[in-house]
Amino acid sequence: MNALERHRKLTTIWASEKGFKGWFSTVNHTDLGRMFLVTAFFFFIIGGLLAMLIRVQLATPHSAFAGPEIYNQIFTMHGTIMMFLFAIPTFEGLAIYLLPKILGTRDLAFPRLTAYGYWCYAFGGSMMLIAMVFGIAPNGGWFMYPPLSSAIYSPGINTDFWLIGITFVEISAVAAAVEITVSILKYRAPGMSLDKMPIFAWYALITALMILTGFPPLILGSVLLEVERAFGFPFFQADLGGDSLLWQHLFWLFGHPEVYIIFLPAAGVISTILPVMCRTTLLGYGWIVAAALALAFLSFGLWVHHMFTTGIPHMGLAFFSAASTLVAVPTGVQIFAWIGTMWKGRPELRLPMLHLLGFFFTFVIGGLTGVMVAVVPFDWQAHDTAFITAHLHYVLFGGFVFPIFAGIYYWLPHVTGRRRFFRLGELAFALVFIGFHVTFLAMHWVGLLGQRRRIPTYAPEDGWTAINLISSVGSFVLAIGIGMILIDVILHVLTASRGRRNPWGAGTLEWAMPTPPLAYNFASLPHITSRDPLVDQPDLAVQLARGEGYLGTPRNTWRETLTVDIASGKPDMHVIYPSNTRLPILMSAVTGVFFVSLLLKFYWTVPVAVIGVTILVWRWVWGLGRGADLAPLPIGHGITLPNAGMTARSPGWWGSIFLLTANATFFGSLLFGFAFLWTVAPGWPPPVWFDPSMTELGAGLSGAIIGPIAMRLAKSVNSKGRSSITGATMSLFGAILVAVASAAMMWRTPSPVDHAYGATLFVLGGYGLFHAVLAMLMTSFLIARIVRGFTSAVRRAEFSIIGLWVDYTSVIGVLILLAAHLPGVLQ
Amino acid sequence: MKDVFRILIAPLVWFASFSAVYGLHGLMCGHEMSGVVFGLPLERAYLVAAYVCAIAVQMVLLVALYSSRIASPSPFVRFVSHATGWVGLIATIWSLVPVVFTTYCG
Amino acid sequence: MLAGAGLIFGLVMVLLLLAFRPRADTGDAGNVRVWVIGLGLAFPMVVLAALLAYGLVIGERLLPLASDDVVRVGAQGQLSTWSFTYADVPNRRTQDVLHIPAARPVDVSITTADVIHSFWVPRLAGKLDAIPGRTNILRIEADFPGTYHGVSAEFSGTGYDHFSFTVIAHDAEDWDAFLDEDIE
Repeated sequence: MNALERHRKLTTIWASEKGFKGWFSTVNHTDLGRMFLVTAFFFFIIGGLLAMLIRVQLATPHSAFAGPEIYNQIFTMHGTIMMFLFAIPTFEGLAIYLLPKILGTRDLAFPRLTAYGYWCYAFGGSMMLIAMVFGIAPNGGWFMYPPLSSAIYSPGINTDFWLIGITFVEISAVAAAVEITVSILKYRAPGMSLDKMPIFAWYALITALMILTGFPPLILGSVLLEVERAFGFPFFQADLGGDSLLWQHLFWLFGHPEVYIIFLPAAGVISTILPVMCRTTLLGYGWIVAAALALAFLSFGLWVHHMFTTGIPHMGLAFFSAASTLVAVPTGVQIFAWIGTMWKGRPELRLPMLHLLGFFFTFVIGGLTGVMVAVVPFDWQAHDTAFITAHLHYVLFGGFVFPIFAGIYYWLPHVTGRRRFFRLGELAFALVFIGFHVTFLAMHWVGLLGQRRRIPTYAPEDGWTAINLISSVGSFVLAIGIGMILIDVILHVLTASRGRRNPWGAGTLEWAMPTPPLAYNFASLPHITSRDPLVDQPDLAVQLARGEGYLGTPRNTWRETLTVDIASGKPDMHVIYPSNTRLPILMSAVTGVFFVSLLLKFYWTVPVAVIGVTILVWRWVWGLGRGADLAPLPIGHGITLPNAGMTARSPGWWGSIFLLTANATFFGSLLFGFAFLWTVAPGWPPPVWFDPSMTELGAGLSGAIIGPIAMRLAKSVNSKGRSSITGATMSLFGAILVAVASAAMMWRTPSPVDHAYGATLFVLGGYGLFHAVLAMLMTSFLIARIVRGFTSAVRRAEFSIIGLWVDYTSVIGVLILLAAHLPGVLQ
Repeated sequence: MKDVFRILIAPLVWFASFSAVYGLHGLMCGHEMSGVVFGLPLERAYLVAAYVCAIAVQMVLLVALYSSRIASPSPFVRFVSHATGWVGLIATIWSLVPVVFTTYCG
Repeated sequence: MLAGAGLIFGLVMVLLLLAFRPRADTGDAGNVRVWVIGLGLAFPMVVLAALLAYGLVIGERLLPLASDDVVRVGAQGQLSTWSFTYADVPNRRTQDVLHIPAARPVDVSITTADVIHSFWVPRLAGKLDAIPGRTNILRIEADFPGTYHGVSAEFSGTGYDHFSFTVIAHDAEDWDAFLDEDIE
């Protein structure tokens, strides 16, 4: 088979449907990455326009441009859009587009999940836009502090849009994070051990792990606040045993890592582009990996520095002040490693490099003002003034937008396969740079003069008029600059000026393919022996197109790839991907029905949506099964690999591990909330305690023990080739017992609207019930599989996956039941 | 997976001990206590003891990460796990140092 | 702090500029020692340790430590107004104007009747929040008699921009008069 025949065959297998219909059924990471990025930049423009409105409003004193009601919506939506609908999706889009290419494989781990995530983002984002168009957008600030955001002080639907819309969008963040983590750990070219991984993959991996552990506290907070608003459960009401500070803890437990979730991918872009722009290699690769890891961890120990003024005891503040200063060290390591890289090489002032210099200039200032506000006494003055607004824009614009602009100009030739023809970019950079600094330097200044954040107007006698006007003028220069970048990019896409392959002379694998990229990325997969494969093998692209790598011969109509051992990069599984399907968009639409029903308090459609999602998930997973065993398959170069469905640790198992990591963080946050209310909130102890019942406790605990044991039994019997139906049925029975005990707990809990104690127990019970029902569905699924002959001693992957979920259900079931019954038993 | 664990363990333990000491401080301030141990007020004594324990655990981890029996076969993972091991130790010493001299429950 | 930050910023910018001068490629090993370990690790750790120590010491000094001549007042935020009470005159309540003696430490007990607010008189002290169900105590002290402008510094919905109050610091004589209820 020659290269052209191979290309034709692979294209028929991998191509999305033609035309716009393809958008709805594509599961291809290149398509979805582009869709993510375009949508994210659409939201960036919207968020930017809102910022312009803010600056118009503040340009003059006593401005009558927008009334306070509208103004509050504008700044709330500006923050919300930029954080949730621009920054995070931009990372997701970039990672989804780039990772398989840079890792030398053909797609991400779970292509349909990528599509599902995209549609959840698109639908959730649209909900927010609709709210804005109708003038009922959230107006309580992007941080949504209760009690201001509670039903009493914000009775309208505005806050519900935030809580429900953002939770909907977060599904896509968690989906993408699971996907990215598994893809980086398992879906790499053979030979790519951890130390040969491109640095961007390290950053993306760390960011994805942070999303998995950082987002659940916010999702929990949103769920609790929405339940409080809709049903009156007093989680955040001080007079009924709740505490508004619980929200702040949950919110910032997410919110601070969020800053680094935004910065780290940008740092990955810098670490990738900077050495190329300097014709050298990255200085201190291992150090940078360690620094990024340190940054990720330390960022989880800083959240209280957003709460320095809430009256937390002095020593508590001191801990977080110390941790906040320490986080500057790994940042320093990265900055100086980058400058060292520049010293080592020969930097060239090409357009991406200009944006990187913009990054250095801006981010260093933002970092230094950040260290200032880490000092408690200074923060007590600066907190909630325009100084903080300016600081965070230096960090986020400097640390994210400049590097992303550099990344856009760097990878644009890859996306389009074209050369930049018009030279607007340099002028645009100058305007953006100047405009940005004029706007936000002025804002530092006016903040130190005492201008608070989020005020719609001020008086001439405050003496802030001139500075605000300067700031507003600067912001318009900035906006013109960004508009020019947009025009530059559109012109680039439209003008037909073919570029050459690998225009920057980069060493990473994404350039070892024709541009624009093909649906299957690589005609055959490379064997990696160094961190910059294209430097060692400049004609790698041609070799791969000739089919000299792995999986060079298309088989059946399978979309094939392979996975590797995490540490060593030795190939270990053969994978067949699902092909084009409308299942993801359908499922996210039904998920949307669930959220919209909650939003409109249209509760009878909620169970309909839940059942709909269940049926779709069942179909989704059922399609992965095989009626017969598959022998190990040759992948070329004399290697044969087992198919993923014939292993104990299939991609689904890895995906479950990381989804359960996020889930466990959610549960941990719920337990933290319970402990926090119990020990810290005013209004405790509750008037009535839960009445313990040895019968319920006993039933639940025995179910929690039976489930996992029976599942292990089923697994071992199955591996001997005998029927495992008894074990699976026993496991189902165990899950039913846990479900009954959790339901009884919810039924008998002290009234959840009277005190936060009952409310928390009710939610805990609900969490247990949900997982028990999930375990019931999964074990039923397994039974159906066994009955239909879809399992065998070889086809065993599903036993391990379902086993994980059964184990998890048992652990949380035991903890929940003990949390409810034990205090009563002990008294 | 073992390698991932080697890399993550020290900072994870830092986060756990950081939260634990913060929680301990919060709990003690919520409940009046009195007493003197080794010439220190009871609260201070507990906090310092927790601080010392946290540092000791980090040191044990660091020694383990350097020991040939537990360390990773890959030199790269060894390097990164040593680095994160040091991060755990330094972060513990640094971020919890206020227990030694800052006013508690104020 | 500003000067230090300016110096560090200048240093980074100079290093960036110097990267553009032409010179020969040097190996990785020495570079890692200089850039990563020297400038990346050691330099920030020394600077930050000093800064942290300074911050903690200042923080200690701002604590409302027990003292004989402390005056106690209460401040309660309520959407668009602050009301103030005085431990020395139990029945006295003022609206949007807080009276304090000058040159004496004053402990303000901050509470809220509805949502979260923040009590902030920039020239007298930092800000401290009013949280439902809690009482936070802020130590303020005015060195000289006079009128000080205060604002509510936590976003509280519409009307937030006008949400302010005044603190009047009296000399000893006027303060006594206030306590005797001669001043309205």
